[in-house]
Amino acid sequence: MISLSGRQGTLAEINHKARNWLVGWWRLVHLGALILVLALSPSSYGSDNRRVLARHIYLNTAPNLLGFTLMCALITVVITRIVIVTALSYGLSQYALQVVIRVLVLELIPLTAAMFVALRCAIASGVELSQLRQQGTLDALQRRGLDPIRQEVLPRVTAGIFSTVTLAALSCVVALVMAYLASYGFTLSGVAVYTRLFGQVFNPDVTLIFVLKTLFFSLAVSLIPMASALYDAAEQRFRVSAELRMLVRMFAVILVIEVVSLVGNYY
Amino acid sequence: MSEPQASPPTPPETPPPGDPVAMPPVANLEFKALLLLVFMTVLVVGSALYLLYARGAFEATQKLVLLSDDSEGVVVGMDMTFAGFPIGRVRRIELAEDGKARIIVDVPTKDAHWLRTSSVFTLVRGLVGSTNIRAYTGMLKDPLLPDGAVREVLRGDTGAEVPKLVAAAKELLENLNTLTASEGAIGTSMGNLQKLTERLNGPGGALNVLLGNDAEAKKLIATLDRTNALLTKLDGLAAKTDTQVFGANGVMPEARATVVQLNTLLGEARTSLKKVDAVLVDAQAVGANARAATDDLGALRAEVESSLRKVDGLINEINRKWPFARDTEIKLP
Repeated sequence: MISLSGRQGTLAEINHKARNWLVGWWRLVHLGALILVLALSPSSYGSDNRRVLARHIYLNTAPNLLGFTLMCALITVVITRIVIVTALSYGLSQYALQVVIRVLVLELIPLTAAMFVALRCAIASGVELSQLRQQGTLDALQRRGLDPIRQEVLPRVTAGIFSTVTLAALSCVVALVMAYLASYGFTLSGVAVYTRLFGQVFNPDVTLIFVLKTLFFSLAVSLIPMASALYDAAEQRFRVSAELRMLVRMFAVILVIEVVSLVGNYY
Repeated sequence: MSEPQASPPTPPETPPPGDPVAMPPVANLEFKALLLLVFMTVLVVGSALYLLYARGAFEATQKLVLLSDDSEGVVVGMDMTFAGFPIGRVRRIELAEDGKARIIVDVPTKDAHWLRTSSVFTLVRGLVGSTNIRAYTGMLKDPLLPDGAVREVLRGDTGAEVPKLVAAAKELLENLNTLTASEGAIGTSMGNLQKLTERLNGPGGALNVLLGNDAEAKKLIATLDRTNALLTKLDGLAAKTDTQVFGANGVMPEARATVVQLNTLLGEARTSLKKVDAVLVDAQAVGANARAATDDLGALRAEVESSLRKVDGLINEINRKWPFARDTEIKLP
Protein backbone atom coordinates (compact mmCIF):
# COMPACT_ATOMS: atom_id res chain seq x y z
CA MET A 1 0.00 0.00 0.00
CA ILE A 2 2.76 2.39 0.92
CA SER A 3 4.72 1.58 -2.26
CA LEU A 4 1.58 2.01 -4.40
CA SER A 5 0.85 5.42 -2.91
CA GLY A 6 4.54 6.34 -3.29
CA ARG A 7 4.42 5.34 -6.96
CA GLN A 8 1.22 7.33 -7.47
CA GLY A 9 2.81 10.34 -5.82
CA THR A 10 5.83 10.07 -8.09
CA LEU A 11 3.65 9.83 -11.20
CA ALA A 12 1.62 12.81 -10.04
CA GLU A 13 4.78 14.84 -9.51
CA ILE A 14 6.11 13.88 -12.96
CA ASN A 15 2.76 14.80 -14.45
CA HIS A 16 2.80 18.11 -12.64
CA LYS A 17 6.35 18.91 -13.80
CA ALA A 18 5.56 17.97 -17.41
CA ARG A 19 2.44 20.11 -17.33
CA ASN A 20 4.40 23.04 -15.90
CA TRP A 21 7.06 22.58 -18.54
CA LEU A 22 4.56 22.56 -21.38
CA VAL A 23 2.65 25.46 -19.88
CA GLY A 24 5.90 27.46 -19.62
CA TRP A 25 6.69 26.95 -23.28
CA TRP A 26 3.14 27.72 -24.28
CA ARG A 27 3.23 30.97 -22.36
CA LEU A 28 6.44 31.92 -24.13
CA VAL A 29 4.92 31.33 -27.55
CA HIS A 30 1.75 33.14 -26.50
CA LEU A 31 3.74 36.14 -25.29
CA GLY A 32 5.65 36.18 -28.59
CA ALA A 33 2.41 36.28 -30.53
CA LEU A 34 1.11 39.07 -28.30
CA ILE A 35 4.26 41.11 -28.75
CA LEU A 36 4.12 40.61 -32.51
CA VAL A 37 0.55 41.84 -32.70
CA LEU A 38 1.32 44.82 -30.50
CA ALA A 39 4.44 45.65 -32.51
CA LEU A 40 2.45 45.70 -35.73
CA SER A 41 -0.29 47.85 -34.24
CA PRO A 42 0.10 51.58 -34.96
CA SER A 43 -1.57 52.37 -31.65
CA SER A 44 1.47 51.00 -29.87
CA TYR A 45 3.51 53.95 -31.10
CA GLY A 46 1.75 56.86 -29.42
CA SER A 47 3.85 59.76 -28.21
CA ASP A 48 4.33 58.36 -24.69
CA ASN A 49 5.09 54.93 -25.95
CA ARG A 50 7.51 56.34 -28.52
CA ARG A 51 9.51 58.06 -25.81
CA VAL A 52 9.72 54.89 -23.74
CA LEU A 53 10.59 52.84 -26.82
CA ALA A 54 13.26 55.33 -27.90
CA ARG A 55 14.78 55.26 -24.43
CA HIS A 56 14.99 51.49 -24.32
CA ILE A 57 16.34 51.28 -27.86
CA TYR A 58 19.01 53.84 -27.17
CA LEU A 59 20.01 52.45 -23.76
CA ASN A 60 20.16 48.87 -25.03
CA THR A 61 22.10 49.64 -28.19
CA ALA A 62 24.30 52.72 -28.04
CA PRO A 63 26.51 51.77 -25.07
CA ASN A 64 27.26 48.37 -26.60
CA LEU A 65 28.05 49.43 -30.14
CA LEU A 66 31.65 50.53 -29.78
CA GLY A 67 32.77 47.83 -27.39
CA PHE A 68 31.19 44.97 -29.29
CA THR A 69 32.42 46.29 -32.62
CA LEU A 70 35.98 46.55 -31.40
CA MET A 71 35.81 43.09 -29.90
CA CYS A 72 34.50 41.65 -33.16
CA ALA A 73 37.17 43.45 -35.15
CA LEU A 74 39.92 42.04 -32.97
CA ILE A 75 38.54 38.51 -33.01
CA THR A 76 38.10 38.71 -36.79
CA VAL A 77 41.68 39.75 -37.40
CA VAL A 78 43.04 37.00 -35.17
CA ILE A 79 40.83 34.27 -36.59
CA THR A 80 41.42 35.38 -40.17
CA ARG A 81 45.15 35.31 -39.67
CA ILE A 82 45.05 31.87 -38.10
CA VAL A 83 42.88 30.45 -40.86
CA ILE A 84 44.96 31.98 -43.66
CA VAL A 85 48.27 30.79 -42.24
CA THR A 86 46.90 27.30 -41.63
CA ALA A 87 45.37 27.10 -45.09
CA LEU A 88 48.65 28.27 -46.66
CA SER A 89 50.56 25.53 -44.91
CA TYR A 90 48.22 22.93 -46.42
CA GLY A 91 48.19 24.55 -49.85
CA LEU A 92 44.51 25.45 -49.53
CA SER A 93 44.81 29.24 -49.40
CA GLN A 94 42.11 29.64 -52.03
CA TYR A 95 39.55 28.41 -49.51
CA ALA A 96 40.72 30.44 -46.51
CA LEU A 97 38.58 33.52 -47.07
CA GLN A 98 35.52 31.44 -47.78
CA VAL A 99 36.03 29.61 -44.49
CA VAL A 100 36.43 32.90 -42.65
CA ILE A 101 33.24 34.33 -44.11
CA ARG A 102 31.24 31.19 -43.42
CA VAL A 103 32.50 30.71 -39.89
CA LEU A 104 32.59 34.30 -38.71
CA VAL A 105 29.93 36.19 -40.56
CA LEU A 106 27.42 33.39 -40.99
CA GLU A 107 27.74 31.58 -37.69
CA LEU A 108 29.81 33.20 -34.96
CA ILE A 109 28.84 36.86 -35.16
CA PRO A 110 25.03 36.50 -35.00
CA LEU A 111 25.39 34.07 -32.11
CA THR A 112 27.86 36.32 -30.30
CA ALA A 113 25.71 39.40 -30.84
CA ALA A 114 22.66 37.60 -29.45
CA MET A 115 24.57 36.36 -26.40
CA PHE A 116 26.03 39.80 -25.84
CA VAL A 117 22.64 41.47 -25.92
CA ALA A 118 21.22 38.74 -23.73
CA LEU A 119 23.88 39.14 -21.06
CA ARG A 120 24.17 42.92 -21.18
CA CYS A 121 20.60 44.03 -21.79
CA ALA A 122 17.91 41.42 -22.03
CA ILE A 123 18.54 39.68 -18.72
CA ALA A 124 18.73 43.03 -16.97
CA SER A 125 15.45 44.03 -18.60
CA GLY A 126 13.94 40.78 -17.37
CA VAL A 127 15.13 41.48 -13.84
CA GLU A 128 13.65 44.99 -14.02
CA LEU A 129 10.34 43.60 -15.19
CA SER A 130 10.36 41.00 -12.48
CA GLN A 131 10.94 43.71 -9.88
CA LEU A 132 8.13 45.79 -11.34
CA ARG A 133 5.82 42.81 -11.08
CA GLN A 134 6.86 42.10 -7.54
CA GLN A 135 6.37 45.73 -6.61
CA GLY A 136 2.83 45.59 -8.03
CA THR A 137 3.56 48.21 -10.65
CA LEU A 138 2.13 46.10 -13.40
CA ASP A 139 -1.08 45.62 -11.44
CA ALA A 140 -1.23 49.35 -10.84
CA LEU A 141 -0.93 49.96 -14.57
CA GLN A 142 -3.70 47.55 -15.20
CA ARG A 143 -5.89 49.25 -12.63
CA ARG A 144 -5.23 52.55 -14.38
CA GLY A 145 -6.48 51.04 -17.61
CA LEU A 146 -3.09 50.68 -19.24
CA ASP A 147 -1.83 47.49 -20.77
CA PRO A 148 1.34 46.51 -18.88
CA ILE A 149 2.46 44.37 -21.83
CA ARG A 150 2.30 47.32 -24.18
CA GLN A 151 3.76 49.74 -21.65
CA GLU A 152 6.60 47.69 -20.22
CA VAL A 153 7.18 44.50 -22.15
CA LEU A 154 6.87 45.68 -25.74
CA PRO A 155 9.53 48.43 -25.47
CA ARG A 156 11.98 46.07 -23.84
CA VAL A 157 11.43 43.29 -26.36
CA THR A 158 11.60 45.70 -29.29
CA ALA A 159 14.79 47.24 -27.92
CA GLY A 160 16.30 43.77 -27.50
CA ILE A 161 15.45 42.80 -31.05
CA PHE A 162 16.71 46.09 -32.41
CA SER A 163 19.92 45.87 -30.43
CA THR A 164 20.61 42.30 -31.56
CA VAL A 165 19.97 43.04 -35.21
CA THR A 166 22.02 46.23 -35.16
CA LEU A 167 24.96 44.66 -33.38
CA ALA A 168 24.86 41.66 -35.69
CA ALA A 169 24.67 43.80 -38.85
CA LEU A 170 27.40 46.18 -37.77
CA SER A 171 29.68 43.40 -36.61
CA CYS A 172 29.20 41.48 -39.81
CA VAL A 173 30.16 44.53 -41.85
CA VAL A 174 33.18 45.18 -39.63
CA ALA A 175 34.19 41.52 -39.80
CA LEU A 176 34.01 41.53 -43.60
CA VAL A 177 36.15 44.65 -43.76
CA MET A 178 38.69 43.35 -41.26
CA ALA A 179 38.91 39.99 -43.04
CA TYR A 180 39.62 41.80 -46.30
CA LEU A 181 42.28 43.97 -44.69
CA ALA A 182 43.87 41.00 -42.98
CA SER A 183 44.07 39.14 -46.31
CA TYR A 184 44.87 41.84 -48.85
CA GLY A 185 46.09 44.74 -46.76
CA PHE A 186 45.26 48.37 -47.41
CA THR A 187 44.75 48.01 -51.14
CA LEU A 188 41.77 47.94 -53.43
CA SER A 189 43.16 45.30 -55.77
CA GLY A 190 41.34 42.44 -54.09
CA VAL A 191 37.93 44.08 -53.81
CA ALA A 192 36.53 42.51 -56.98
CA VAL A 193 37.63 39.00 -56.02
CA TYR A 194 36.50 39.45 -52.45
CA THR A 195 33.11 40.75 -53.53
CA ARG A 196 32.66 37.82 -55.87
CA LEU A 197 33.59 35.39 -53.10
CA PHE A 198 31.11 37.06 -50.79
CA GLY A 199 28.42 36.72 -53.43
CA GLN A 200 29.23 33.04 -53.85
CA VAL A 201 28.96 32.34 -50.12
CA PHE A 202 25.74 34.28 -49.67
CA ASN A 203 23.52 32.52 -52.12
CA PRO A 204 19.73 33.00 -51.68
CA ASP A 205 19.32 29.97 -49.39
CA VAL A 206 22.18 30.92 -47.13
CA THR A 207 21.08 34.54 -47.01
CA LEU A 208 17.54 33.58 -46.02
CA ILE A 209 18.77 31.24 -43.31
CA PHE A 210 21.14 33.93 -42.02
CA VAL A 211 18.39 36.55 -41.80
CA LEU A 212 15.94 34.18 -40.15
CA LYS A 213 18.56 32.96 -37.71
CA THR A 214 19.42 36.49 -36.63
CA LEU A 215 15.75 37.35 -36.20
CA PHE A 216 15.01 34.25 -34.18
CA PHE A 217 18.09 34.82 -32.04
CA SER A 218 16.89 38.35 -31.33
CA LEU A 219 13.42 37.09 -30.50
CA ALA A 220 14.78 34.42 -28.21
CA VAL A 221 17.07 36.71 -26.19
CA SER A 222 14.38 39.37 -25.93
CA LEU A 223 11.28 37.29 -25.21
CA ILE A 224 12.52 34.60 -22.89
CA PRO A 225 13.66 36.95 -20.08
CA MET A 226 10.34 38.79 -20.37
CA ALA A 227 8.36 35.59 -20.23
CA SER A 228 10.36 34.43 -17.24
CA ALA A 229 9.80 37.75 -15.47
CA LEU A 230 6.08 37.72 -16.15
CA TYR A 231 5.20 34.09 -15.56
CA ASP A 232 7.87 32.29 -13.52
CA ALA A 233 7.04 31.93 -9.84
CA ALA A 234 9.90 32.21 -7.36
CA GLU A 235 8.76 29.15 -5.43
CA GLN A 236 10.95 27.77 -2.71
CA ARG A 237 10.58 24.19 -3.85
CA PHE A 238 12.57 24.83 -7.02
CA ARG A 239 16.24 24.09 -6.59
CA VAL A 240 17.43 26.79 -9.00
CA SER A 241 16.42 30.41 -9.25
CA ALA A 242 14.08 31.69 -11.91
CA GLU A 243 16.95 33.54 -13.60
CA LEU A 244 18.96 30.39 -13.98
CA ARG A 245 15.97 28.54 -15.43
CA MET A 246 15.50 31.41 -17.82
CA LEU A 247 19.14 31.23 -18.88
CA VAL A 248 18.93 27.50 -19.45
CA ARG A 249 15.80 27.92 -21.52
CA MET A 250 17.39 30.73 -23.53
CA PHE A 251 20.53 28.75 -24.27
CA ALA A 252 18.48 25.73 -25.25
CA VAL A 253 16.45 27.78 -27.72
CA ILE A 254 19.58 29.41 -29.12
CA LEU A 255 21.17 26.01 -29.54
CA VAL A 256 18.15 24.63 -31.36
CA ILE A 257 18.07 27.63 -33.69
CA GLU A 258 21.78 27.25 -34.43
CA VAL A 259 21.49 23.54 -35.12
CA VAL A 260 18.53 24.03 -37.42
CA SER A 261 20.40 26.75 -39.33
CA LEU A 262 23.44 24.50 -39.68
CA VAL A 263 21.25 21.69 -40.98
CA GLY A 264 19.66 24.08 -43.43
CA ASN A 265 23.02 25.34 -44.68
CA TYR A 266 25.08 22.21 -44.84
CA TYR A 267 22.82 19.17 -44.93
CA MET B 1 -4.31 40.10 -22.97
CA SER B 2 -2.44 37.69 -20.68
CA GLU B 3 -2.90 37.64 -16.95
CA PRO B 4 0.38 37.71 -15.04
CA GLN B 5 0.42 35.76 -11.78
CA ALA B 6 -0.70 37.78 -8.76
CA SER B 7 2.05 38.80 -6.36
CA PRO B 8 1.71 40.22 -2.85
CA PRO B 9 0.23 43.75 -3.19
CA THR B 10 2.67 46.43 -2.16
CA PRO B 11 2.13 50.14 -2.64
CA PRO B 12 4.41 51.43 -5.37
CA GLU B 13 6.97 53.72 -3.91
CA THR B 14 8.62 54.63 -7.19
CA PRO B 15 6.90 56.76 -9.80
CA PRO B 16 4.79 54.86 -12.41
CA PRO B 17 6.82 53.13 -15.05
CA GLY B 18 7.16 54.88 -18.36
CA ASP B 19 7.79 58.13 -16.56
CA PRO B 20 11.03 59.62 -17.79
CA VAL B 21 11.88 60.73 -14.26
CA ALA B 22 12.22 57.07 -13.19
CA MET B 23 14.95 56.45 -15.75
CA PRO B 24 18.24 58.21 -16.24
CA PRO B 25 17.71 61.27 -18.44
CA VAL B 26 19.13 61.14 -21.99
CA ALA B 27 19.65 64.34 -23.92
CA ASN B 28 18.01 64.44 -27.38
CA LEU B 29 16.71 60.97 -26.77
CA GLU B 30 14.34 60.73 -29.70
CA PHE B 31 16.87 62.17 -32.11
CA LYS B 32 19.50 59.66 -31.01
CA ALA B 33 17.05 56.79 -31.23
CA LEU B 34 16.04 57.97 -34.70
CA LEU B 35 19.69 58.13 -35.62
CA LEU B 36 20.16 54.57 -34.47
CA LEU B 37 17.15 53.49 -36.46
CA VAL B 38 18.47 55.21 -39.57
CA PHE B 39 21.90 53.71 -38.95
CA MET B 40 20.49 50.21 -38.68
CA THR B 41 18.35 50.72 -41.76
CA VAL B 42 21.32 51.97 -43.72
CA LEU B 43 23.36 49.00 -42.53
CA VAL B 44 20.75 46.47 -43.50
CA VAL B 45 19.83 48.09 -46.82
CA GLY B 46 23.46 48.69 -47.68
CA SER B 47 24.33 45.08 -46.93
CA ALA B 48 21.46 43.91 -49.08
CA LEU B 49 22.54 46.12 -51.97
CA TYR B 50 26.16 44.97 -51.63
CA LEU B 51 24.98 41.39 -51.67
CA LEU B 52 22.93 41.99 -54.80
CA TYR B 53 25.92 43.67 -56.42
CA ALA B 54 28.17 40.76 -55.39
CA ARG B 55 25.70 38.32 -56.95
CA GLY B 56 25.74 40.27 -60.19
CA ALA B 57 22.21 41.60 -60.08
CA PHE B 58 23.22 44.98 -61.50
CA GLU B 59 25.45 43.97 -64.39
CA ALA B 60 24.37 43.33 -67.96
CA THR B 61 25.08 39.77 -69.00
CA GLN B 62 24.80 37.51 -71.98
CA LYS B 63 23.90 33.87 -71.91
CA LEU B 64 26.20 30.99 -72.68
CA VAL B 65 24.93 27.41 -72.69
CA LEU B 66 27.41 24.61 -72.07
CA LEU B 67 26.45 21.03 -72.84
CA SER B 68 27.99 18.21 -70.86
CA ASP B 69 27.39 14.50 -70.36
CA ASP B 70 27.72 14.91 -66.62
CA SER B 71 27.33 18.06 -64.58
CA GLU B 72 28.28 16.52 -61.26
CA GLY B 73 30.17 19.01 -59.14
CA VAL B 74 28.71 22.03 -60.91
CA VAL B 75 26.68 24.24 -58.57
CA VAL B 76 24.65 27.32 -59.23
CA GLY B 77 26.71 30.41 -58.54
CA MET B 78 30.11 28.92 -59.31
CA ASP B 79 32.47 30.83 -61.56
CA MET B 80 33.66 30.24 -65.08
CA THR B 81 37.24 31.44 -65.32
CA PHE B 82 39.41 32.69 -68.14
CA ALA B 83 43.15 32.81 -67.48
CA GLY B 84 42.36 32.50 -63.78
CA PHE B 85 39.92 35.41 -63.74
CA PRO B 86 36.21 34.78 -63.18
CA ILE B 87 34.27 35.98 -66.22
CA GLY B 88 30.99 34.14 -65.82
CA ARG B 89 28.66 32.66 -63.26
CA VAL B 90 26.51 29.55 -63.47
CA ARG B 91 22.90 30.65 -63.27
CA ARG B 92 21.06 27.41 -63.83
CA ILE B 93 21.66 23.72 -64.48
CA GLU B 94 19.03 21.70 -66.27
CA LEU B 95 18.58 18.47 -68.17
CA ALA B 96 18.09 18.68 -71.90
CA GLU B 97 15.78 16.43 -73.87
CA ASP B 98 18.67 14.37 -75.18
CA GLY B 99 19.80 13.59 -71.63
CA LYS B 100 22.72 16.00 -71.62
CA ALA B 101 23.21 18.55 -68.90
CA ARG B 102 22.75 22.16 -69.89
CA ILE B 103 24.78 24.57 -67.85
CA ILE B 104 23.57 28.13 -68.35
CA VAL B 105 26.27 30.66 -67.64
CA ASP B 106 25.81 34.40 -67.35
CA VAL B 107 28.77 36.27 -68.77
CA PRO B 108 28.97 40.00 -68.01
CA THR B 109 28.96 42.05 -71.18
CA LYS B 110 32.20 43.73 -70.18
CA ASP B 111 33.97 40.36 -70.09
CA ALA B 112 32.23 38.80 -73.09
CA HIS B 113 34.94 39.98 -75.48
CA TRP B 114 37.27 37.31 -74.08
CA LEU B 115 35.03 34.63 -75.56
CA ARG B 116 35.21 34.00 -79.29
CA THR B 117 33.57 31.52 -81.62
CA SER B 118 36.69 29.36 -81.45
CA SER B 119 36.84 29.35 -77.64
CA VAL B 120 37.08 26.01 -75.89
CA PHE B 121 35.37 25.26 -72.59
CA THR B 122 36.46 22.60 -70.09
CA LEU B 123 34.85 21.13 -67.02
CA VAL B 124 37.55 19.75 -64.76
CA ARG B 125 36.96 17.88 -61.57
CA GLY B 126 40.04 17.09 -59.51
CA LEU B 127 40.44 14.72 -56.63
CA VAL B 128 40.63 17.58 -54.13
CA GLY B 129 38.64 20.74 -54.43
CA SER B 130 35.61 21.77 -56.39
CA THR B 131 34.83 21.45 -60.06
CA ASN B 132 36.19 24.17 -62.32
CA ILE B 133 34.75 25.52 -65.53
CA ARG B 134 37.41 27.17 -67.65
CA ALA B 135 37.38 28.96 -70.97
CA TYR B 136 40.30 29.05 -73.38
CA THR B 137 40.56 31.35 -76.36
CA GLY B 138 43.46 30.87 -78.73
CA MET B 139 42.49 33.30 -81.47
CA LEU B 140 41.38 36.59 -79.99
CA LYS B 141 40.76 37.99 -83.45
CA ASP B 142 38.00 35.51 -84.21
CA PRO B 143 34.37 36.69 -84.17
CA LEU B 144 32.78 37.30 -80.77
CA LEU B 145 30.76 34.55 -79.19
CA PRO B 146 27.11 35.46 -79.75
CA ASP B 147 24.54 35.73 -76.99
CA GLY B 148 22.85 32.41 -76.30
CA ALA B 149 25.64 30.38 -77.92
CA VAL B 150 25.60 26.66 -77.21
CA ARG B 151 28.92 24.86 -76.82
CA GLU B 152 30.04 21.39 -75.84
CA VAL B 153 32.23 21.36 -72.79
CA LEU B 154 35.23 19.05 -72.55
CA ARG B 155 35.04 17.08 -69.36
CA GLY B 156 37.90 15.80 -67.23
CA ASP B 157 37.30 13.90 -64.05
CA THR B 158 40.27 12.66 -62.08
CA GLY B 159 37.97 10.96 -59.65
CA ALA B 160 36.40 8.88 -62.41
CA GLU B 161 39.84 7.56 -63.33
CA VAL B 162 40.38 6.32 -59.81
CA PRO B 163 38.14 3.24 -60.15
CA LYS B 164 39.95 2.30 -63.35
CA LEU B 165 43.25 2.83 -61.61
CA VAL B 166 42.14 0.79 -58.66
CA ALA B 167 40.94 -2.02 -60.94
CA ALA B 168 44.26 -2.02 -62.81
CA ALA B 169 46.18 -1.97 -59.56
CA LYS B 170 44.05 -4.82 -58.26
CA GLU B 171 44.77 -6.87 -61.35
CA LEU B 172 48.46 -6.10 -61.05
CA LEU B 173 48.45 -7.16 -57.41
CA GLU B 174 46.69 -10.39 -58.28
CA ASN B 175 49.30 -11.10 -60.94
CA LEU B 176 52.06 -10.29 -58.49
CA ASN B 177 50.50 -12.58 -55.93
CA THR B 178 50.35 -15.35 -58.48
CA LEU B 179 53.96 -14.75 -59.42
CA THR B 180 55.23 -14.58 -55.87
CA ALA B 181 53.18 -17.47 -54.51
CA SER B 182 55.15 -20.42 -53.22
CA GLU B 183 54.18 -22.46 -56.28
CA GLY B 184 54.51 -19.50 -58.62
CA ALA B 185 57.14 -18.82 -61.23
CA ILE B 186 59.25 -16.60 -59.01
CA GLY B 187 59.07 -19.04 -56.12
CA THR B 188 60.16 -21.91 -58.33
CA SER B 189 62.91 -19.78 -59.86
CA MET B 190 64.15 -18.74 -56.44
CA GLY B 191 64.17 -22.38 -55.35
CA ASN B 192 66.21 -23.32 -58.39
CA LEU B 193 68.51 -20.39 -57.75
CA GLN B 194 68.99 -21.58 -54.22
CA LYS B 195 69.91 -25.06 -55.43
CA LEU B 196 72.28 -23.52 -57.93
CA THR B 197 73.90 -21.47 -55.20
CA GLU B 198 74.28 -24.56 -53.03
CA ARG B 199 75.92 -26.41 -55.87
CA LEU B 200 78.14 -23.42 -56.59
CA ASN B 201 79.24 -23.44 -52.98
CA GLY B 202 79.76 -27.21 -53.16
CA PRO B 203 83.01 -29.02 -53.82
CA GLY B 204 82.61 -28.98 -57.62
CA GLY B 205 81.81 -25.29 -57.82
CA ALA B 206 80.82 -23.68 -61.10
CA LEU B 207 82.36 -26.49 -63.13
CA ASN B 208 80.07 -29.03 -61.54
CA VAL B 209 77.09 -26.74 -62.33
CA LEU B 210 78.16 -26.29 -65.94
CA LEU B 211 78.79 -29.95 -66.67
CA GLY B 212 76.09 -31.44 -64.55
CA ASN B 213 78.07 -34.12 -62.65
CA ASP B 214 81.43 -34.87 -61.07
CA ALA B 215 82.56 -37.43 -63.70
CA GLU B 216 82.36 -34.95 -66.52
CA ALA B 217 84.11 -32.37 -64.42
CA LYS B 218 86.94 -34.77 -63.70
CA LYS B 219 87.22 -35.52 -67.41
CA LEU B 220 87.45 -31.85 -68.16
CA ILE B 221 90.11 -31.40 -65.52
CA ALA B 222 92.07 -34.35 -66.90
CA THR B 223 91.76 -32.84 -70.35
CA LEU B 224 93.06 -29.58 -69.03
CA ASP B 225 95.98 -31.34 -67.39
CA ARG B 226 96.89 -33.07 -70.62
CA THR B 227 96.52 -29.84 -72.47
CA ASN B 228 98.93 -28.26 -70.02
CA ALA B 229 101.41 -31.06 -70.60
CA LEU B 230 101.04 -30.68 -74.35
CA LEU B 231 101.62 -27.00 -74.07
CA THR B 232 104.73 -27.65 -72.05
CA LYS B 233 106.03 -29.92 -74.76
CA LEU B 234 105.13 -27.42 -77.40
CA ASP B 235 107.09 -24.84 -75.47
CA GLY B 236 110.12 -27.07 -75.62
CA LEU B 237 109.55 -27.74 -79.30
CA ALA B 238 109.24 -24.09 -79.96
CA ALA B 239 112.50 -23.43 -78.20
CA LYS B 240 114.25 -26.03 -80.25
CA THR B 241 112.63 -24.83 -83.44
CA ASP B 242 113.77 -21.38 -82.59
CA THR B 243 117.31 -22.57 -82.28
CA GLN B 244 117.08 -24.58 -85.48
CA VAL B 245 115.58 -21.83 -87.49
CA PHE B 246 117.08 -18.69 -86.02
CA GLY B 247 120.22 -20.05 -84.38
CA ALA B 248 123.79 -19.39 -85.60
CA ASN B 249 123.74 -22.63 -87.57
CA GLY B 250 120.08 -22.55 -88.31
CA VAL B 251 117.98 -22.47 -91.44
CA MET B 252 117.62 -18.76 -91.64
CA PRO B 253 121.31 -17.84 -92.00
CA GLU B 254 121.72 -20.50 -94.73
CA ALA B 255 118.59 -19.31 -96.42
CA ARG B 256 120.00 -15.82 -96.29
CA ALA B 257 123.24 -17.04 -97.92
CA THR B 258 121.17 -18.86 -100.54
CA VAL B 259 119.28 -15.75 -101.27
CA VAL B 260 122.55 -13.86 -101.74
CA GLN B 261 123.72 -16.49 -104.22
CA LEU B 262 120.40 -16.37 -106.01
CA ASN B 263 120.75 -12.63 -106.29
CA THR B 264 124.14 -13.12 -107.91
CA LEU B 265 122.75 -15.72 -110.30
CA LEU B 266 119.84 -13.52 -111.14
CA GLY B 267 122.25 -10.72 -112.00
CA GLU B 268 124.13 -13.00 -114.33
CA ALA B 269 120.90 -14.25 -115.80
CA ARG B 270 119.87 -10.68 -116.38
CA THR B 271 123.05 -10.06 -118.34
CA SER B 272 122.52 -13.19 -120.41
CA LEU B 273 118.97 -12.23 -121.11
CA LYS B 274 120.12 -8.89 -122.37
CA LYS B 275 122.30 -10.67 -124.87
CA VAL B 276 119.44 -12.91 -125.84
CA ASP B 277 117.39 -9.80 -126.36
CA ALA B 278 119.95 -8.58 -128.88
CA VAL B 279 119.87 -11.95 -130.65
CA LEU B 280 116.18 -11.91 -130.71
CA VAL B 281 116.21 -8.48 -132.22
CA ASP B 282 118.44 -9.84 -135.02
CA ALA B 283 116.20 -12.86 -135.35
CA GLN B 284 113.26 -10.57 -135.56
CA ALA B 285 114.92 -8.71 -138.36
CA VAL B 286 115.65 -11.99 -140.08
CA GLY B 287 112.14 -13.01 -139.56
CA ALA B 288 110.90 -9.79 -141.02
CA ASN B 289 113.11 -10.33 -144.06
CA ALA B 290 111.89 -13.89 -144.29
CA ARG B 291 108.36 -12.68 -144.10
CA ALA B 292 108.99 -10.27 -146.85
CA ALA B 293 110.67 -13.01 -148.82
CA THR B 294 107.78 -15.27 -148.12
CA ASP B 295 105.45 -12.66 -149.37
CA ASP B 296 107.59 -12.34 -152.46
CA LEU B 297 107.76 -16.12 -152.72
CA GLY B 298 104.04 -16.23 -152.62
CA ALA B 299 103.77 -13.82 -155.45
CA LEU B 300 106.47 -15.69 -157.28
CA ARG B 301 104.66 -18.94 -156.68
CA ALA B 302 101.46 -17.47 -157.99
CA GLU B 303 103.30 -16.30 -161.11
CA VAL B 304 104.94 -19.70 -161.46
CA GLU B 305 101.62 -21.43 -161.13
CA SER B 306 100.11 -19.15 -163.65
CA SER B 307 102.96 -19.80 -166.01
CA LEU B 308 102.75 -23.53 -165.45
CA ARG B 309 99.06 -23.39 -166.08
CA LYS B 310 99.68 -21.60 -169.28
CA VAL B 311 102.36 -24.13 -170.21
CA ASP B 312 100.02 -26.94 -169.38
CA GLY B 313 97.33 -25.42 -171.44
CA LEU B 314 99.78 -24.98 -174.28
CA ILE B 315 100.91 -28.57 -173.99
CA ASN B 316 97.33 -29.77 -174.04
CA GLU B 317 96.70 -27.68 -177.11
CA ILE B 318 99.73 -29.11 -178.72
CA ASN B 319 98.75 -32.65 -177.74
CA ARG B 320 95.30 -32.09 -179.24
CA LYS B 321 96.66 -30.78 -182.33
CA TRP B 322 99.67 -33.14 -182.49
CA PRO B 323 98.93 -36.80 -183.15
CA PHE B 324 101.86 -38.01 -181.16
CA ALA B 325 99.72 -38.46 -178.05
CA ARG B 326 100.52 -41.60 -176.11
CA ASP B 327 98.54 -43.59 -173.64
CA THR B 328 100.29 -43.08 -170.37
CA GLU B 329 98.29 -45.53 -168.32
CA ILE B 330 100.23 -48.33 -166.84
CA LYS B 331 98.35 -51.56 -166.88
CA LEU B 332 99.32 -53.86 -164.15
CA PRO B 333 99.14 -57.56 -164.54
